[in-house]
Amino acid sequence: MTAPLLKIEDLRTYFYSKSKQAFIRSVDNVNLEIGKGETLGVVGESGSGKSITALSVMGLLSAGPGVITGRIGFKSDRVQKNLLQDIGDFVKLTMMDGKVMAVQKDEDGWQELSEHRMSNLRGKEISMIFQNPKQSMNPFMTVGRQITEAIQLHTEHKSEQAAKERALEWLDRVKIDTPRLRFDNHPYGLSGGMCQRAMIAMALSCEPSLLIADEPTTGLDATIQSKIVDLLAELKAELGITTMLISHDISIISRLSDTVAVMYGGTVVETGPAKAILAKNEDLKHPYTAALLISIPSSENIKGKGNLQAIEGDVLDTINIPAGCRFYGRCNRVTDKIKEKCERQEPDLRDISPGHKARCWLYFD
Amino acid sequence: MSKTILEVIDLKKHFAHRKGLLSFGEPHRSIPAVDGVSFYLKENETVGLVGESGCGKTTIGRTILRLEKPTSGRIIFDGTDITALDTGELRKLRGKMQMIFQDLDAALNPKMRIREILNEAITVHHELTDADVDKRIAELLEQVNLKRSKLSNFPHELSGGEKRRVGVARVLSVGAQFLVADEPTSALDVSIQAQVVNLLRDLQKQLGLSFLFISHDLRVVELVSHKVAVMYLGKIVEMGLSGRIANKASHPYTHILWSSLVEKQSREAGKKATSVQAGRWGVFDFERPLEGCRFAPRCPVFESKGRPDICTSAASEPVLREIAGGHQVACHFPL
Repeated sequence: MTAPLLKIEDLRTYFYSKSKQAFIRSVDNVNLEIGKGETLGVVGESGSGKSITALSVMGLLSAGPGVITGRIGFKSDRVQKNLLQDIGDFVKLTMMDGKVMAVQKDEDGWQELSEHRMSNLRGKEISMIFQNPKQSMNPFMTVGRQITEAIQLHTEHKSEQAAKERALEWLDRVKIDTPRLRFDNHPYGLSGGMCQRAMIAMALSCEPSLLIADEPTTGLDATIQSKIVDLLAELKAELGITTMLISHDISIISRLSDTVAVMYGGTVVETGPAKAILAKNEDLKHPYTAALLISIPSSENIKGKGNLQAIEGDVLDTINIPAGCRFYGRCNRVTDKIKEKCERQEPDLRDISPGHKARCWLYFD
Repeated sequence: MSKTILEVIDLKKHFAHRKGLLSFGEPHRSIPAVDGVSFYLKENETVGLVGESGCGKTTIGRTILRLEKPTSGRIIFDGTDITALDTGELRKLRGKMQMIFQDLDAALNPKMRIREILNEAITVHHELTDADVDKRIAELLEQVNLKRSKLSNFPHELSGGEKRRVGVARVLSVGAQFLVADEPTSALDVSIQAQVVNLLRDLQKQLGLSFLFISHDLRVVELVSHKVAVMYLGKIVEMGLSGRIANKASHPYTHILWSSLVEKQSREAGKKATSVQAGRWGVFDFERPLEGCRFAPRCPVFESKGRPDICTSAASEPVLREIAGGHQVACHFPL
């Protein structure tokens, strides 16, 4: 494995709920690594903390009494730092009987430090493609103007003309037809798929070291979706850009990723090479991943016209996280031997085969 | 042979497009959201309706239930023509046909508890005593597999899957036999989606329901439907048994739809389906559909045949014709 470009260690992002006097533990002890040039796919159900992890990396979560702890080590050719250094100093907790009574946060100080640290990274070193391109773009500015602005800000192409040429080049590269015409369109004048292409152009135009794509194809039609996936695959082959790809759609993850992390209830339950994790064999896999894989309508179970194998129960409530394994309540592979452990103690993320880690008692005795 | 519960004949729904307050006198342009659609649905059967967003799937569902007034055509439900019923007669009909809505955050009243929501639905069509209502609610909860403790909750306190179950329970509570399920699994996680799909299929077996299943998720449609109709810009372009549509598609559009499934592509990694690559995505305009075949501007076959006139001339718009048992396609050059 190449040296990790991004190394997240013990990341915890909590939000305080005043009415429940407790933390909503959206992201709870996440450890991830992305090597240079690799694509890491993050899968999980909604509410499993995928997007919050991404937003924590981008430093876009300062508002509200949210608490972020841990270490996000970012190391590119140009920059090397811990994105979360000293950021916890701005938060004071008042605890009573194990309950969080109040959270005091020096919002301004937090904001200032976070902005100061991120301002020369965001866009330039790390950029992000959001789920909803139309809402993420400025509706009052033409698409071309927005891309040009980003280029002028973050690259050496400072002159209007040079930046415009670059922007047009990128629009062409993401296969927008008649880029010169589309350059002067406002976001609402573009279709969903085209808007997503423009968004990708904007994210890549500053040649960032890390691209975070948060559900880049969700909400698009099947035909458009496959076009965008094709485009991402092509750009990946062409530019070798390091990507963190977040999606709940396993088929997209399997198409684009080198490594995969499966998230459940705010934490990573399994991580390893994409091939090992997404293979359809039952053994050597976290039970959640196995259950997730067979609950997708695939050609095999379509042919049988049988019922789908659903995971019973509901997604974990991240306020009252159980003491034991997070997946215990829905797990169908608990054996008598490990039952007690599953209920009481949370397993660590440990190697089950070289480079393949899982958080499950089945594999360590 | 089971009987036909719903028959739709040449249904059209055109929406008037007004430009603004000052456009008096200008001719109203109309948007043909549904433009001449015919199909039928048998008892205990599921017909899947697929197509890209904006092709008129939902409008068909709403028009069949008479939530919209059809522009022309006929809808025959259970032997009676319901195209021109007045509101009083429609009210009675609502006890037999219902819709499972796409967005349950909007469809469930946020200020009512689940018990009140179900109670209202039960009593609106049937006069029952309180004890009977309680019994019926218990029965419904059992059918949709929902915990009794959720009855005192408000909709926002439920998860996506539970909300979906409430939506289904509410539809069942009136005793409907024919259901239009509009994107019932979109916006749900795969694990929850599987639960909902299983629930709908179990209910169909138990209660003998008929479904018009609208979805853009091709895999789910292929799984639950007996027959599938593929729509493009307000018209059905291909219709047949679901296995045939998925594996032996004849219309270029259906072919592109199914081969664009990312799962399929990743399995056949390396050998890219050429027809997908050849598909040219021209802009389509609902207000002025092209003459002739509507799909021609995006059609790979049209390109490869050297843009034959038959595809673009107004006189020869392709119509649905049978190519094999129950498999119909509207294309001059079926694959």
